[in-house]
Amino acid sequence: MRRPQKSCPFCETRVRFIDYKDDRTLGRFITDHGKILPSRLSGTCARHQRQLATAVKRARFLALIPYIKGHTA
Amino acid sequence: MPRQYEAVYIFDSALEDAAITEKLTRFHGMLGASGEIKADHWGRRQLAYTIGPRETGYYVVARFDAEAAVLPEYERALRLDDGVVRYLVTLHEHEVGAPPMTEEEMVAARRRDDDDEDEE
Repeated sequence: MRRPQKSCPFCETRVRFIDYKDDRTLGRFITDHGKILPSRLSGTCARHQRQLATAVKRARFLALIPYIKGHTA
Repeated sequence: MPRQYEAVYIFDSALEDAAITEKLTRFHGMLGASGEIKADHWGRRQLAYTIGPRETGYYVVARFDAEAAVLPEYERALRLDDGVVRYLVTLHEHEVGAPPMTEEEMVAARRRDDDDEDEE
């Protein structure tokens, strides 16, 4: 069965290119463990999901968001 | 052809502010940048995970126009500097993030949100 179409949160706010420095926004698109949330759950369109993946990876490298959440070395 | 780049530096938070400014001037001097370099100091903030012994870092975001040929030398200087914990240089081809909303759009967005709630 086809799942109902969700609207892309980035298109709604008319974001053209996702900012990797905006950890607040990116934080909404990662799971409790810090994984990237699939578009199946977030409704993000393909174009923004690709940008999101890059943005999250850059933000992780810059220690703005964690690679793994809830893990203490 | 010069292109626009965006660099994010994470400096050791133990450094004095003056030392950071001096380092930035040195790095940016190597670029031979045409036009002004905009540096946005975020200041000290908590790192999402520890990098070695460090738990905080001093973040600076800079935007500049530079020739691609000067970048290797510049990045080499960044790597050699012990005060720089981490850096990321990216091409800045487009404005990123949400565009500023006009008054009308704000009202429209709010109305849309209200509509959504009604449906549920």
